[in-house]
Amino acid sequence: MTSPKTAAVALESTTVTLPDTALPAGDLPAPRLLGPAFALARREFTRFIRQPHRVIGSLGQPLLFWIFLGAGFTPSFRPPGMEGMTYMEYFYPGVLMMMILFASIFSTITVIEDRDQGFLQGVLVAPVPRLAIVLGKVAGGSSIALFQSFLLLLAVPFLGLPVTLSGIALVVMAMVLSAFGYTALGFAIAWRMKSTSGFHAIMMIFLMPLWLLSGALFPTAGVPGWLSTAMALNPVAHALTIVRAPFYADAATALASPAYLTSLAVVVGWVALCLWWCASRVSRRDKGVQG
Amino acid sequence: MHMILIRNLRHTYPGTRRQSARNALRDLSLEIPAGQFCILSGPNGSGKSTLFRILCGLAAPSSGSVSIGGHDLATAPERIRPLMGVVFQSPAVDKNLSVQENLTLHADLHGLRGTAAGRMTEALAWSDLKDRLGDRVETLSGGLARQVELAKCLMTRPQILLLDEPTTGLDPASRRSFILALRRLQRDRKMTVLMTSHVFSDAEFADSVAILRDGALMAHDTPDRLKAMVGTEMVVIRPRDPAAFATVLETGFSRRPVRYGDELRIENIPPAEAVPLIAAVLDHHRADVLSIGVKQPDLEDVFVHVTGRGAAFAADAEPSDSRARQPELTA
Repeated sequence: MTSPKTAAVALESTTVTLPDTALPAGDLPAPRLLGPAFALARREFTRFIRQPHRVIGSLGQPLLFWIFLGAGFTPSFRPPGMEGMTYMEYFYPGVLMMMILFASIFSTITVIEDRDQGFLQGVLVAPVPRLAIVLGKVAGGSSIALFQSFLLLLAVPFLGLPVTLSGIALVVMAMVLSAFGYTALGFAIAWRMKSTSGFHAIMMIFLMPLWLLSGALFPTAGVPGWLSTAMALNPVAHALTIVRAPFYADAATALASPAYLTSLAVVVGWVALCLWWCASRVSRRDKGVQG
Repeated sequence: MHMILIRNLRHTYPGTRRQSARNALRDLSLEIPAGQFCILSGPNGSGKSTLFRILCGLAAPSSGSVSIGGHDLATAPERIRPLMGVVFQSPAVDKNLSVQENLTLHADLHGLRGTAAGRMTEALAWSDLKDRLGDRVETLSGGLARQVELAKCLMTRPQILLLDEPTTGLDPASRRSFILALRRLQRDRKMTVLMTSHVFSDAEFADSVAILRDGALMAHDTPDRLKAMVGTEMVVIRPRDPAAFATVLETGFSRRPVRYGDELRIENIPPAEAVPLIAAVLDHHRADVLSIGVKQPDLEDVFVHVTGRGAAFAADAEPSDSRARQPELTA
């Protein structure tokens, strides 16, 4: 470092003195990914817990959906090949999915709030890989969604589902994957958004169809051709498949089924794609144009 | 050695359907030697914020280069980030977390695991936060919340500190204590500080002040030499009708005033002439004058002088050393 005197001289000089030696940047340790990501995720969850109305709201809505729709549809629910299944039972994985989907995506509204309030810029100038910022936010949002949906999972023993322990393990895995996929999707969409109300509008026209066409509300068998194509392309439908199947089969049986494996591959690919999309959006800097 | 070296920086915001492209920075060059406290000033829209966003790596310029600590900002931002602490205008702390939680989060982001406790004590030593560690930031006063920002940045022992209007919203006492603490820390730790500010009392403490207007550097010098540019004394008049009175001064008194808002200023008056001039003006035009006085220039006057008539200033820039340092001014 220069002394004040040489610094003053440097100010006097009219020529450009290029620094002869670059400062060591703390000899650049290997990019730390998980530490910063974990710290950001923990912050996300702490914030959530400290806002009780968020907890109550996100728990209450799917529960009401489930109880009202379940009770109302059960008398008329007679799909072919599903005799003996109540609508409460059919709808249960769909409610789980709804909870994960909505809680995940809406947890990413905090991206817009963070940007608004200035927290985000502090994170962006920190020496962390951009992917760590994405992972932290996505893992934080996912943990909020999973916290709520795990509470709903406590209802399983009372539903009379033929579920095994290994099956539950697969259900949990599917829930984690879904949460990551949805949160990453919400993150990528929220990243450039200026207002939370705009985000709400976009997400409602975008989210509702994804969920409605997932098979959460009605079985996919016997729907019109166009609808069946739309459902086959919908990642939420595949996520629902891998959540629902293990309730009725143990892990070995599920993992041996080509339909299950296809859906699993689609969901994994979709999570990876969304995370990559997020990272590329975060890495982009506002570039000035030639003018 | 120059800690921050900005060469021919240009930044143009892309136009939208409703708005044409806007030049925020035009060929800006600026050097800040290591260990200096530099204040960046300028009217709203002068390009300060754009420059700040570029320096902290949030925006990429249209052209030109920035080197910080010898690293090129465009190609090696990951080498610069560890050297740098940034205090933003809008608070970059989480209001729902406590002071301690915010500092821990920052330490984790910078990979300070293990050393965090010691660093935290060190970063808080100068502050008034020691009894408030468990309190949520939303419960702190504005001044204390600003201290959290600064303490947070100090934890990583930055060599360069960038601050964007850090004293905005603080009362004069808190502002003064913030600046004094900052100045002391900067000297003790030999940091290079670049701070944007609107507040001229802030600038009195700086090693150098850079004044921006319309995306170009108008002046960059020590506070004393900047003040010398305006002369030793000036007469400030508030007439009822500034435009008409300017003509009166030019024709009747052969003085060319500078208009700034409702004020007319006759700058660089030799000390012996100020009082006789005031007496003469009052003798003949008492009814047209709301107030009149003599004034020692402070940095605000420099600012008015430099930004109020930048073109004229460029043409008759008096101090030769100032002209030499900013060759782009004479263009």
